[in-house]
Amino acid sequence: MKSTSRISVSGLSVRYGAHEAVRDVSLAIPDGKISALVGPSGCGKSTFLHALNRLTDLVPGCVVEGSIRLDDDLEITAPTTDVLALRRHIGMVFQKPNPFPQSIRRNFEIPLREHGVDRKEIPAIIERCLRDVGLWDEVSDRLDRSALQLSGGQQQRLCIARALALDPKVILFDEPCSALDPLASGVVEDHIAALRGRVTVVIVTHNLAQARRIADELAVFWVRDGAGTIVETGPASKTFESPTDPDAARYLSGERG
Amino acid sequence: MTSDWKRPFLITPVKPSTKPRCLYLDRTVGIIGALAAAGTAGIFLWIIWDLVRLGLPNLSWTFLTGEVEEAGRAGGIGPLLVSTWWILVCCLAVAVPLGIGCAVWLSEFTRRGSWAGRWITGGIDLLASVPSIVFGLFGMTFFCQVLGLGFSILSGGLTLACMILPILVRTTLSALEGLPSDLRPGAAALGLTRTTTLARILLPTALPGILVGVTLGIGRALSETAALLFTSGYSTRWPQSLEDSGRALSVHIFDLAFNIPNGAANASATALVLLGMILVINFTATTLADHWMRRLSGSRL
Repeated sequence: MKSTSRISVSGLSVRYGAHEAVRDVSLAIPDGKISALVGPSGCGKSTFLHALNRLTDLVPGCVVEGSIRLDDDLEITAPTTDVLALRRHIGMVFQKPNPFPQSIRRNFEIPLREHGVDRKEIPAIIERCLRDVGLWDEVSDRLDRSALQLSGGQQQRLCIARALALDPKVILFDEPCSALDPLASGVVEDHIAALRGRVTVVIVTHNLAQARRIADELAVFWVRDGAGTIVETGPASKTFESPTDPDAARYLSGERG
Repeated sequence: MTSDWKRPFLITPVKPSTKPRCLYLDRTVGIIGALAAAGTAGIFLWIIWDLVRLGLPNLSWTFLTGEVEEAGRAGGIGPLLVSTWWILVCCLAVAVPLGIGCAVWLSEFTRRGSWAGRWITGGIDLLASVPSIVFGLFGMTFFCQVLGLGFSILSGGLTLACMILPILVRTTLSALEGLPSDLRPGAAALGLTRTTTLARILLPTALPGILVGVTLGIGRALSETAALLFTSGYSTRWPQSLEDSGRALSVHIFDLAFNIPNGAANASATALVLLGMILVINFTATTLADHWMRRLSGSRL
């Protein structure tokens, strides 16, 4: 399958003990585009997302089966995969902003030093990434203040900048705006949309209007036979206009879910 | 006119009066609370006053630096301060790394509710409830006799280390477990190793909590008498090495008050010194923790 897919998922199943959260999911995530994952709560979207950079490893008793390939050459699910290097290529931004309770500068220094970036290069990277999320002008004079003093929206943008600092190929967003007020949410959304073409974005969202605004590709998750799976997938505009799956159609039109 | 039964209120509103009876109840509870607080403060002040009244006249520079004379009735407590200091150093040098290491393992490297974790925390809680005299007996047989350390500062310090270990483990554990739960996945998602996460993020954030544990441990160690009676011994000479016997301040107080006629005045003076040491250590630890939090969070309060 030589293609422009950044990530190719095939036959992916994720189990937490006896509970099957995701069953037999296949999805091609195109390079440089924004792919949105939507669906009701508890249908495996977040679990799927966490499997993409092996954060499922942190959950005791979590078993992942199937194949996830990065750039057609790295098998992400293989036990021999260097998980730490993988996560440098596939970053993640969480629902609740989670800057480290230290200075803004340290929030960049800790991961950058861990990945062997030279100390001298770090200030330039911090400035570039903070500019990318429109935070530089707001915080450039207080880089040594606590990141926790920022507002929620600023903290979330800091988290995006921190993920960008590692120069990832893919950034996964797990409902990045749902803990923010509408204004901050709009700002964060604009900066996610601005990543199009530079970074491959996979975003889980409960906000269909948001998915409609920013997504290039859409995948609708639904619970079938007790496990989450993808019932509809395709280019966002086409999927929103004429979904073929009846559940997805009712969900996307706002009738259900 | 709407029919009366549709009224949304089930309780007839009472016209507010200027002297509602609930005010008296609240006031009484407040007064009882204030009395309890005053009583607590009073007991503390009384103890301090008693110590100051009896001990202060004997307190002087020569008392702090001089040698013990006439079994403590005269002279000072110089050698005892040195012994106490080294007992404390031995104790902390062993207990702090061991306690923090144990808590880190329990919190970060075992699954919650695993049998190993349950057994170890259970054991630690049991250890915390063991009377100190039992630690003294254990220290005497194990450190003094089996390991052949004899009555020494080292034996005393190691015995105290066993004794304060539960405090250190418990406080460090609760400091680590009280951290925001999203720090760990956040760090993992940035490709940080667990070691980096621990050393650069979790431990620095938990440090003030750990310092509280160390302070409590120091307080407990300094005030301990029973565990030291049979381990570090009675010697009032200047200690030459950690293998020398050395009398701790608390043991000296016990001895003066219990065994030495006319020793009460110097016992009070020694107690005053001990109290002062604990206050200084407490104050230093709180200041350090405050300073650290401010540095970490960069806030200027």
